[in-house]
Amino acid sequence: MPRHKLIASESDVSIEVDVGKDNEFSLYYVEVEENSQGGQEKQTTRDGKRRRERNGEVSRRRASEKRTTEVDTKRAEKKHEKRHKTARKEGEKHEKRQRRKNADEEEAEEESNKEKKNIKNERTKTLRRDDEKEKDVKKKRKKHVKNEEDNANSGKTKQKDCHDMPLKEKKKKRKKPETTSESESKSESDSAPESKDNQAVGVLGSLTPEELEKLKEAVDERKKLIATMRGKPWPMKKKLVVLRESQEFVEKYEGALGKGKGRKLYAYKVMIMKKWMKFQRDFENFKTACIPWEMKIKEIESHFGSSVASYFIFLRWMYGINMILFGLTFGLVMVPEALMGKPYGSIPRKTVPREEEASAMNFAILWDFGGYAKYSVLFYGYYNSQRAIGWLKFRLPLSYFLVGVGTVAYSYMVVIRTMARNANEEGGGDDTSFNFSWKTFTSWDYLIGNPETADNKFASITTSFKEAIVEEQESRKDDNIHLTRFLRVLANFLVLCCLAGSGYLIYFVVRRSQKFALLGLENYGWWERNEVNMVMSLLGMFCPMLFDVISTLENYHPRVALQWQLGRIFALFLGNLYTFIIALMDAIQLKRAEEEIVKKNMTIWQANLYNGTVPDNSTAPPITVHPADIPRGPCWETMVGQEFVRLIISDTMTTYITLLIGDFLRAVLVRFLNNCWCWDLEYGFPSYSEFDVSGNVLGLIFNQGMIWMGAFYAPCLPALNLLRLHVSMYLQCWAVMCCNVPQERVFKASGSNNFYMAMLLVILFLSTLPAIYTIVSIPPSFDCGPFSGKTRMFDVIQETLESDFPAWFGKMFSYASNPGLVLPFLLLLVLAIYYLQSTSKTYKRVNMELKKKLQTQNEENKKKNKLAALKAANELEQARKAGEQRSSSASDLGVNEESSSIDEAGHHRQAGQNGRFIHPSQSQHTQNSEPPVSSTHTTTRPPASRGHTSSGHLPGHPQQPQKNSHSNRR
Amino acid sequence: MVSPAIALAFLPLLLTMIIRYRYYFVLLYRAVLIRWVRDCLTGLSREERAFQYILTHATPGDAQSILDTFDHWCSKVEFISHIGPKKGKILDRLLQEHCPITVLELGTHCGYSTVRIARSLPIGARIYSVEMDERNAQVAEKIIRLAGFDEDMVELIVRPSDEVIPRLREDFGVERLDLVFMDHWKRCYLPDLQLLEGSGLLGEGSIILADNVIFPGAPNFLRHARRSGLYEVRVHRATLEYIRGIRDGMAELTFLGIK
Repeated sequence: MPRHKLIASESDVSIEVDVGKDNEFSLYYVEVEENSQGGQEKQTTRDGKRRRERNGEVSRRRASEKRTTEVDTKRAEKKHEKRHKTARKEGEKHEKRQRRKNADEEEAEEESNKEKKNIKNERTKTLRRDDEKEKDVKKKRKKHVKNEEDNANSGKTKQKDCHDMPLKEKKKKRKKPETTSESESKSESDSAPESKDNQAVGVLGSLTPEELEKLKEAVDERKKLIATMRGKPWPMKKKLVVLRESQEFVEKYEGALGKGKGRKLYAYKVMIMKKWMKFQRDFENFKTACIPWEMKIKEIESHFGSSVASYFIFLRWMYGINMILFGLTFGLVMVPEALMGKPYGSIPRKTVPREEEASAMNFAILWDFGGYAKYSVLFYGYYNSQRAIGWLKFRLPLSYFLVGVGTVAYSYMVVIRTMARNANEEGGGDDTSFNFSWKTFTSWDYLIGNPETADNKFASITTSFKEAIVEEQESRKDDNIHLTRFLRVLANFLVLCCLAGSGYLIYFVVRRSQKFALLGLENYGWWERNEVNMVMSLLGMFCPMLFDVISTLENYHPRVALQWQLGRIFALFLGNLYTFIIALMDAIQLKRAEEEIVKKNMTIWQANLYNGTVPDNSTAPPITVHPADIPRGPCWETMVGQEFVRLIISDTMTTYITLLIGDFLRAVLVRFLNNCWCWDLEYGFPSYSEFDVSGNVLGLIFNQGMIWMGAFYAPCLPALNLLRLHVSMYLQCWAVMCCNVPQERVFKASGSNNFYMAMLLVILFLSTLPAIYTIVSIPPSFDCGPFSGKTRMFDVIQETLESDFPAWFGKMFSYASNPGLVLPFLLLLVLAIYYLQSTSKTYKRVNMELKKKLQTQNEENKKKNKLAALKAANELEQARKAGEQRSSSASDLGVNEESSSIDEAGHHRQAGQNGRFIHPSQSQHTQNSEPPVSSTHTTTRPPASRGHTSSGHLPGHPQQPQKNSHSNRR
Repeated sequence: MVSPAIALAFLPLLLTMIIRYRYYFVLLYRAVLIRWVRDCLTGLSREERAFQYILTHATPGDAQSILDTFDHWCSKVEFISHIGPKKGKILDRLLQEHCPITVLELGTHCGYSTVRIARSLPIGARIYSVEMDERNAQVAEKIIRLAGFDEDMVELIVRPSDEVIPRLREDFGVERLDLVFMDHWKRCYLPDLQLLEGSGLLGEGSIILADNVIFPGAPNFLRHARRSGLYEVRVHRATLEYIRGIRDGMAELTFLGIK
């Protein structure tokens, strides 16, 4: 019995000490208690433990009884033993009670406790002493106890280990899951009485190789248990407890398993390994914690499903991109100009003009980005055209141009790269072929952690099943398609009407505002001045709602519906944006006309100035006009930048105000008015709002588009956008968690990410178009901005090439930009793209074919299996018939039975066969013990009795005939 | 002054509201406006008008015919908040499953649901129907008699429900209620449920069926039912009677017994 040996090992480590006084024993108890209470603090789980302990105790008692019967053969002693045990149990009970009490008491009272316990234990000991008189084995046991107690004083931990190990071992051998989950502290306290039971086998000595082997086995078993924990059909609580304990066990004994000298080293190595793994895990956790807003997004994901979370992930991604854009513009444009450029007030473009000086610091003006804000690094006009500034000889105009181009180029790169990566993930499966299987196995969103959302998801899955079934039926019937088509066409028509209406409204407003601008904005109120922005924001807010309502006509799947919705809002926003840009272009033309006039006037003004000062010409550098008084052009670039900044600001404000009013105020009203309202506000009419994924995503995308468009003329835009994104991240996270409810139809948004990206790409392209147009075709203003005095903005490159690079470089560049070289290069590029595209197409086709092949193979396999199963079933049927025949014949004819009994006598295996017929569970054992059963049949059984059913399978064992049939086939 | 363009920008919002909440507007029109106009024109109450219609159109003694006529009147002519045919089916199914002997109905109104319950009850069963309003009770009595149910089957109690429930045992000798059907004031659902709990008339397996728990809605009632742990709660989702687009539900509470 391995059990004995392990129990023996318990005493191995204990040191031989003389028999001491009895109360030392009780002292040990107290010590252990201190451990269990002070050290481990498992008070909360104490009750459960106690229960478990009781279980364990019972089983342990049973086992110990068994053991005593095995080891101690004396009958008479048994009674004593039992009595003694009950006494001990009583003592334990006392102790438990005591422990319960102790849980609250201070350690200062430990002394008194000890004494109390001494008294209690005294009782048990007197009983024990009676036993001792009869048996000297008992004495031995006592000695054991004392040894342990001594150990407890000297090397407590070590002893603890020794007690645990055998206990655990035993339990495992018994294969009782409850006992394995018994806690450490309890087993410690129990170990002392336990040892008394085991004293019969108590042998002293060091760890023998066999025991080591056992220990190793135990550790391995634990490890295996840890590895397979997941697959166990246990409740989570139990799993956790078992896992923790096994881990502790493994940790404790793994170190002891090394051989001889290397043991310590091994233990050390294991420890280091553990620490390293732990560190790695912690580091991973730390890395996750470092991802900004990760926890927030996960929480939202768990409440609202992945479609809402995808918006926040998108927002975070956008934030990252803007961070880089901001870094570029801030580091390479704004900071150099602010630090190294000419200071404020040195030249006209860096000074607030005289007529504006009075109101330049007003908040209203600053809020509108006029006054001092206009004449600062925030806008294009402030920058000087000086070729190199500061001691670094920083080429600011070049840097300005390259940053402008670089931000756009970087954005293109990032968007396209992300798109390509997402496209890889999609994998291009066809959704149509296994609709129901997909639904069954993949429709659950495992990221949901909120019961309410889970309910919604459950409901949506069931409804989607219903819908899918109905759809399937309808696709077979296919009669209602005309109505659906009609409705879809109608919906699109309505949406188009709506778009046209909103476009016309914006056009009208823009025209009106131009009229106002011509007449002078000062004569009009706030409403008129902000009309364009207001109308655009309002339309952008309300039209999507209308689209949403209209889209219920179409009866699409929510994912498809979301895409349609996105497309429509996209069209709306695009219309609005382009109307705005066209208006802006008109404004630019106006400004340029104004500039021409100013240019003419400038010469006159200069002439006047000189003429006026001609009389006192004698003083040499006379003309010191303050830069604020010098007339200047209107600087259309700054105007464009200002417009964009205003648009962004008003857009942001609208978003936040909508959030606060539409979501928060509504939620508050619904929540608190519900108690005194005549219908249920929460379920009924206003209800809480749902998070509008499509609208928010598009808002974000268009916002980004405006940044791309305007960043060239207002370098402050990325900074503003960064601020906005940062705030909206927190605000929207809060708003979502606080005032929104999960969508009624929660759906996965796995596919929509790329859709967002595609839209972002389109917007990027559409927003760079006007920017490029203005840069390329409109000459810069003559007296403001880094490119003043040049005919075109990109002349700065040529200038740099000529002056800063060696001559050969310029020559090479001119050769390279020669159309004779560029055209072939472009041609090559096109060819390469074409080639790559065609190869990817081929790959796709090959993939599809492979898929098809796999499918057909699967089907073939299925067919084969079906055939095999059929065959097996046939055989089974025949076997049953034969068995019935046989049994009937056996009961009828005694002769037959005799013959079979003879067979049994002749062959041992036959017994197994017959037994199998009688008792299936037995038969399995025999089968397991003797693998080549089927081969032996034919030899052992008289072939005449069975005939065709050579494989003697059973009614209860369908596997065997299959196996046989397989083997037959092969 | 707000410019017309800004005002026009609110048009989509208006349209959205109208389209999204069209059923509520329909309900408002049918349940409030038409009722008010007819009240002014005829001088009769809505329930009396319904009774007149039924008297002229339904077959006396035929419960199904009376119910059908009711449905027709409610969906085509005017609107009365009954349980309706669709939710009525759920009620019928419940009655068939459980075969209650003693039924308490809170809120008789015109007697539609009383007739509906009574026709599928086993012989010897009894309905106690509570109605607060005198005129409605008269109409209900007529309709119940018209459907052919006598006093042994249907006991109409014209008193507020919160007075009736504590006295059910003394005045009517009720020992146990097998089914309680609630369709009166939605605010009274919770107090009445608590009264029922206190009275000890509910036994294990007693069913409480509450109509209109989602629209107009009885959130406190539902919350109590879910949290108290005394009931097994099921909400049958359906739409509001006679109007398709408004979601509504019936709560089926199975009393688990006080432990």
